[in-house]
Amino acid sequence: MNTTANVYASASPASLFNRIIQNHSPIVIVLVALFLAVFLYGMVTAPNFLTLFNLKTIVRDAALVGIMAIGLTFVTLSGNFFLLSMKETAALSIIAFATAMSAGYGFELSFLFTMLIALAAGVLQGALIGLGGNPIVVTLGAAGLFFGVASWWSENLVVSFRRPHGAEWLGSGSLFGLPNITIAFILISITAEIVLRYSTFGRQVYLIGANRAAGKATGHENFSMAIKTCAIASICSAFVAIAFSAQVSSAHVNYFSSEFGSSGDMTILVIATVMVGGNSIMGGFGSTLRSSLGAVFISTVDNMMVLHGFNSGPRVLAVGLMIVFSIIVFALVRRGSRAQE
Amino acid sequence: MINLRRAFGFVAAMCIGLGVVLSGAMAQDKKGSIVSFNGPAGEAYIGRFITGIKETAKLKGYDIKVFENQFNQAEQDQQVQQVLAAGQLPDVFIWWPSDATAGLGSLRALHKTGVPVLKINQLPNEQDKKYIFGYAGPDDRLRARNAGYMMREAAAAKKAAGGDGFNVLVLAYPHSYGGYGLSINAFNEAIAGSDLKVIGDVDEGFGQANGYKGAAKLVAKLKDQGIHFVYGMDDAILTGGIKALEEAGFKMGDDVIAVGTVCNGDKQLIEEGKQFGTTLQSPLHEGQLAIKLVEEYLATGKLQNYINFTPNPAVTKETIATTALRGFDGKLYGIEELCSGAWAN
Repeated sequence: MNTTANVYASASPASLFNRIIQNHSPIVIVLVALFLAVFLYGMVTAPNFLTLFNLKTIVRDAALVGIMAIGLTFVTLSGNFFLLSMKETAALSIIAFATAMSAGYGFELSFLFTMLIALAAGVLQGALIGLGGNPIVVTLGAAGLFFGVASWWSENLVVSFRRPHGAEWLGSGSLFGLPNITIAFILISITAEIVLRYSTFGRQVYLIGANRAAGKATGHENFSMAIKTCAIASICSAFVAIAFSAQVSSAHVNYFSSEFGSSGDMTILVIATVMVGGNSIMGGFGSTLRSSLGAVFISTVDNMMVLHGFNSGPRVLAVGLMIVFSIIVFALVRRGSRAQE
Repeated sequence: MINLRRAFGFVAAMCIGLGVVLSGAMAQDKKGSIVSFNGPAGEAYIGRFITGIKETAKLKGYDIKVFENQFNQAEQDQQVQQVLAAGQLPDVFIWWPSDATAGLGSLRALHKTGVPVLKINQLPNEQDKKYIFGYAGPDDRLRARNAGYMMREAAAAKKAAGGDGFNVLVLAYPHSYGGYGLSINAFNEAIAGSDLKVIGDVDEGFGQANGYKGAAKLVAKLKDQGIHFVYGMDDAILTGGIKALEEAGFKMGDDVIAVGTVCNGDKQLIEEGKQFGTTLQSPLHEGQLAIKLVEEYLATGKLQNYINFTPNPAVTKETIATTALRGFDGKLYGIEELCSGAWAN
């Protein structure tokens, strides 16, 4: 799996170039070169793009979607496709958190309460998927259930809590000039990657995702894996919901429906991030680091286009093109490496 | 697959038909019946609108049935066809299209039945005005103009105090949205001739998260030029924008003066002085106005005014506690009840 990466890491620039030429088909090289040329041109010509302030803006912009994408990556890598209930889990979580905060329970208790709800939501979906339910159908149903409960609970109203409150440090605070949400994104990215690469659980994720039959034969059932990965994804959704609610001191069930970015729907954007990162939709190949970089990459392109004065239409188009481009390039790259094997 | 879809459509039509027949039978002792086509109650503004029409209709003795769509004109078109297929027509249709241009066919179909149609929230255009008996809703231009006047007032006060710097950021609706053109033109007209100068405009999308994201990028682009004022086309977008400006180190109310509209953001920002002002736009009042117009039309066969706007007065820190509006149900409503967003504490 990491053979190609290890070869590139130990190579000198000249031999690296030669190996790239040898290992990849001309169409992949042309596509990537073309894309890099457009990207670099955009970077250099965008006003104030290469400033520290703007680079911090890019990572901060990627943070919330990136954290959700990291959670979803565990599900995808384990071969359970996607959770189509990411934004609804976030909607339920944000209502739970804001309701607890507005009732005066304080940050710690509200956080714990929200995480327990998210954990239950993840375990429920994971159990149904692990029992053989189709992930698409199960999570579509769960999405309706969670959104319905959140709507009913909040009576479709905005739930607000007054400042100052104990969650402000997470929503609006910063450390060494970096927003705390950005720091959380970086820490979660590192932790998730370490867990995936170096823990037994991480190896099981890859094993079951790559070959479920082999996993079963070695005693690793998808039932517990589906529960664990769905729980991780739900907890990541809940964390994002808490961070966003802490920032705006309020909650509404629709905060994650159409409000996140010009590409609209939060779930779609999160799935797009996982795809742009080059993770295999069938499982077994990819990493959370890829998803984190995918989030930063989408944010970078969007940022660059705003600096160039593009309005929302072309930016949505750009995200769509990036997904198509990533799928084509990564499919070609993997086909090439399989042919070499 | 096609047969399955047909069967599903048939069952859906039967269910809706049964609902309309039953509600028609139950409505015999009522003054009349109304069918409203609008967006989802899950959206805060529309949710308050639906509360307004339902409560006022009940108070006035009308039976009302509400069909919600998820901001999807095709879904609304299907609902229209199903209601018409059921054959039990109401006395009035209330029509809040998701996309007025795309929904013109549905409006024509409603009009063909002979049942009068009242259009909501989106100003009539040349194509649809002949199919409706009137309009009830906000005035995008008036609220943007009032925001412009508030900003002029704030700029004049700043200048009088010896301050300088009058660059304005605009946190806009998507440029493809009809309200954008009306809002930006009215705002620009209102600030014309003043020291204020628009230096940037971003249309990330609706809501707080998009307001934050759009503003963060625009601030990165224009920080060096100096940012002194910010206009949010609605308060939800502006609330996110204020967070981005604060994170960028600006002190709201001192370094940057923010003005919004629609009162769908965060009341506390105005109370804290971080937002200079907004304009009142009440979905509850919009719903009440719709039923008032239905009653007027059914009683007289015409409306006194074809276009009926909800009031959009300016609201600032000084007037926030005293702003109130008498509803068409006779009750006096305070600002927390009138506004959507984080206003009710």
